[in-house]
Amino acid sequence: MNPVQLAWKVLRADRRTQVATLLTAAGVAVATALVLLLASLPFATESRAERALWQEPRYELSTGVAPTIAWSFSVDEIDGRQITRVDIAPLTDGDIALPPGIDRLPEPGELLRSPELAALADSRPPAELADRFAAEPVGVLGDEALRFPEQLVVLVGHTPDTMPANALELTAFGTGDPRPDQLLTLLAGVGLVVLLVPSLVLVASASRLIAARRERRLAALRLAGATPAQVTAMVAAETGIAAVAGGALGVAISPLLHRAATTVPWDGGTWFAHDFVLGPGLVAAIAVTVAVLVVGAAVVGLRRVVSTPLMATGGHTRKPLSGWRLLLVPAALALFFWTLSRANTGDGALPILVALGVLMWSPTVVGPWATSALGGIFVRSWRRPAALLAGRRLRDDPKAAYRASAGVVLAAFAGSMALTLMPSLESEAGYYSQFRDEVLYLDTNEDRAGPIAAAVDDKLARYGLDARASRVDQAELVSGDQYHTATIATCADAERLLAGVGDLPCRDTPAIYVDPALDVADAGVPDASTGSAVPLPADAPVVSTDTAGLLLVDPALWPADAPLLEVNVAVPADERTRETVRTALLAGSGGEQVVSKEMKLGQQDTQLADLRRVTVIGLVTASLLAGVSAAIATAGSVMDRRRTFGALMAAGTPVRTLARALRAEAALPALVSTVGAGALGTAVGVGLFGLVSGSPAVFSPWLAAPVVLGALVALIAASVCAPALRRVRAEPLADE
Amino acid sequence: MHTEPTPLLTGRGLVKRYGQQHALAGVDIDVSAGEVLAIVGPSGSGKTTLLHVLAGILRADEGRIALDGRRIDQLGEAGRSELRRTEFGFVFQSGMLVAELTAEENVALPLLLGGRDRTTATDAAREWLGRLGLAGKEQRRPGELSGGEAQRVAIARAIAHRPKVIFADEPTGALDTRTGHATVHALIDSARTTNTAVVIVTHDRELAASVPRTVAIRDGAIDQAVPAA
Repeated sequence: MNPVQLAWKVLRADRRTQVATLLTAAGVAVATALVLLLASLPFATESRAERALWQEPRYELSTGVAPTIAWSFSVDEIDGRQITRVDIAPLTDGDIALPPGIDRLPEPGELLRSPELAALADSRPPAELADRFAAEPVGVLGDEALRFPEQLVVLVGHTPDTMPANALELTAFGTGDPRPDQLLTLLAGVGLVVLLVPSLVLVASASRLIAARRERRLAALRLAGATPAQVTAMVAAETGIAAVAGGALGVAISPLLHRAATTVPWDGGTWFAHDFVLGPGLVAAIAVTVAVLVVGAAVVGLRRVVSTPLMATGGHTRKPLSGWRLLLVPAALALFFWTLSRANTGDGALPILVALGVLMWSPTVVGPWATSALGGIFVRSWRRPAALLAGRRLRDDPKAAYRASAGVVLAAFAGSMALTLMPSLESEAGYYSQFRDEVLYLDTNEDRAGPIAAAVDDKLARYGLDARASRVDQAELVSGDQYHTATIATCADAERLLAGVGDLPCRDTPAIYVDPALDVADAGVPDASTGSAVPLPADAPVVSTDTAGLLLVDPALWPADAPLLEVNVAVPADERTRETVRTALLAGSGGEQVVSKEMKLGQQDTQLADLRRVTVIGLVTASLLAGVSAAIATAGSVMDRRRTFGALMAAGTPVRTLARALRAEAALPALVSTVGAGALGTAVGVGLFGLVSGSPAVFSPWLAAPVVLGALVALIAASVCAPALRRVRAEPLADE
Repeated sequence: MHTEPTPLLTGRGLVKRYGQQHALAGVDIDVSAGEVLAIVGPSGSGKTTLLHVLAGILRADEGRIALDGRRIDQLGEAGRSELRRTEFGFVFQSGMLVAELTAEENVALPLLLGGRDRTTATDAAREWLGRLGLAGKEQRRPGELSGGEAQRVAIARAIAHRPKVIFADEPTGALDTRTGHATVHALIDSARTTNTAVVIVTHDRELAASVPRTVAIRDGAIDQAVPAA
């Protein structure tokens, strides 16, 4: 009988082996499906990026090849949703290669838009949306040209002279190398560790259900003359059946998981179903790798039986755990922060991910030691039998006791890390502008500013709004060796439009308004060509204000042809008029980038909402996996001691007393370990936040949530011990 | 006038079925206080089932069981558990001690579960371990004891709370003959000091012959062909 036949025979005959095999297969299936999903994320974002290449800002190095198009990119928004706008003008009479999904290049005054934008524009008054593009819709963009199905995107045709001021001249339209979303790729890496480990713990917990029985069977075979290779082959065959079945199931359910993933928004929208498709070679490689890992783990777990079968049949004394294990946490933390310190040296994210993996693995090493120490406290101080039983169990086999909570610990780690990052990132979000919150503005050049302001005023008048466009520019002034940024605007416009400017002592005649703290005596406009400064009119009145840092120069006092740093056209709006003012600015400017507080904050909100959503999904998934594996591990620990428990119950020990002891056994290590994992996760979150910001991290009370969640999951999982004990009671005492 | 002592434990018309098969087919049995009784019979004869039914581990399908004249067969699971915990003691084939607990803790466990405090329970455990010749081995785990020593720990555990009846199911099954007999006699001697009745299920005829009374069982019924010792 070969090993596979023997494995089949055992599987057909033994009900508990069937249950364990099913659970192992389920764990492998979940692990395989999750890895397939997470592995597909970078490819999915790359697919998105590839479709949206024509929308991406791209700067070409001069190659001597004549440009073929003028191209401009801007973002717009309506009701908090981002609109991507691309303006284009051919620079040649020749054919221009078009990206997939774009049938033709719009002529000047024409536009192509996405189906979602078409529906939205047709459902609202033209002044709120359709007029912004100042062009006639002549077609719809295909799916191949959309970043995501519901994207709001428009391609507006121009002649070269009507293009926005910041237009680029490109040699080709929509070419280049698509790049995967780096944040989502990083999160996929973190998710791989956070979700794969609980999945594998689940597999390990399932195999524990039959570990004692299988170990005795294999030891008996060894004693009967089976070689280590034969025993190893039998275990590989037994686990292989579950691993292959689970792997196949994982591949089979993977499309369902991918389909579910397409509904989760990221970066403003959901996904096309084909975004998550992996090549068959990669799918096979992942499925085989997961199965091989599971079989390999089972074979490695056999080493005791293979080397000393007598010990396995007769029981053994476990070696106490070394206190050296404790050192792993500070060592892992040191490694993590060292890789963070080298994050900017071009090593990429891999060293950080590796260090993160080591850090996430460290509780697995330290957890059993902490469990043993906790057991020791109970053994010394117990007053009730539940505490005695739990304490002795924790002390005697801390690895097994910790195994039940290993998944919960990982979830607590990941959750604490995310919940440290989230409020810190939220604290970073904000709107910083020289303009008041209610002002919409665009940045253009001096030549276009005047015509744009006139065209915007014309639009505003046509839409029946009282608001009018104003020029608010910025320029540099030098006084001695001190450089200052001056705002070039009228006093009335400054009061109306600038942030932090209250009532000013406005004069009827042009003047300079200045914070007395600024030394602007003999200030002039620096002239790079001569190295000297062009002075402001000497007779210009200088009015002191109590507005800190203000240096306001009336446009009438600004020297002709003096350089400007920034040229803005700004219009104040309110809740009711915002969309119409935006339309007037866009239509009047021919598609310049219009900026408003709502749009800036909307973009930040989208990113944070994405992170929050992914965190919640990851945390809930990890918790579910952890809860299931903890439940299986607890059931396994009851099964391991079924004869003892059966005897105790036969002797009158109530199920509830034993259940209480088991619950304590399952929950206590989880409680202690989740607190430790929470602290570790917080430290890692602070470190990761330091990668993207120099600000101090923000700590919220929600940091306690993963720990509470971990403890709750452990308690729920431990609740399976009462049914398991009742099942043991129902079995004959002489079983086994 | 000589009067028969009132039986401590009485079973009448005990029937236990597993599907179509009768494990017990109407057994009548009495056990007096302080009496030592061996139940013998071949494998599958129903002797272990009879012990489990008398001890309230299994519920009889028919028949009555009384302890001190009080019906116990009608008790619910909680009542039977309490009865087993307080009035009965158990010794199983391989001790079935809690592997993680020391010998002292294993003996103290039923007392603790019965509501005694730690000091009382551990003092009693040490006393009984000493009586059974295990002084100095209180802190050993079951895995660190010989088979005979482990069974004596099980005996101490069964008797430490001073039950009225100790049920021993094949207590020598995992021991060599000499150790087995010595262990059973340690049980009987201990029980005598507390006037505890002992019901021993065994297939060891030699052992059965060494105890005051033997009941033979075959096919779920008392085997009248084998005279009670």
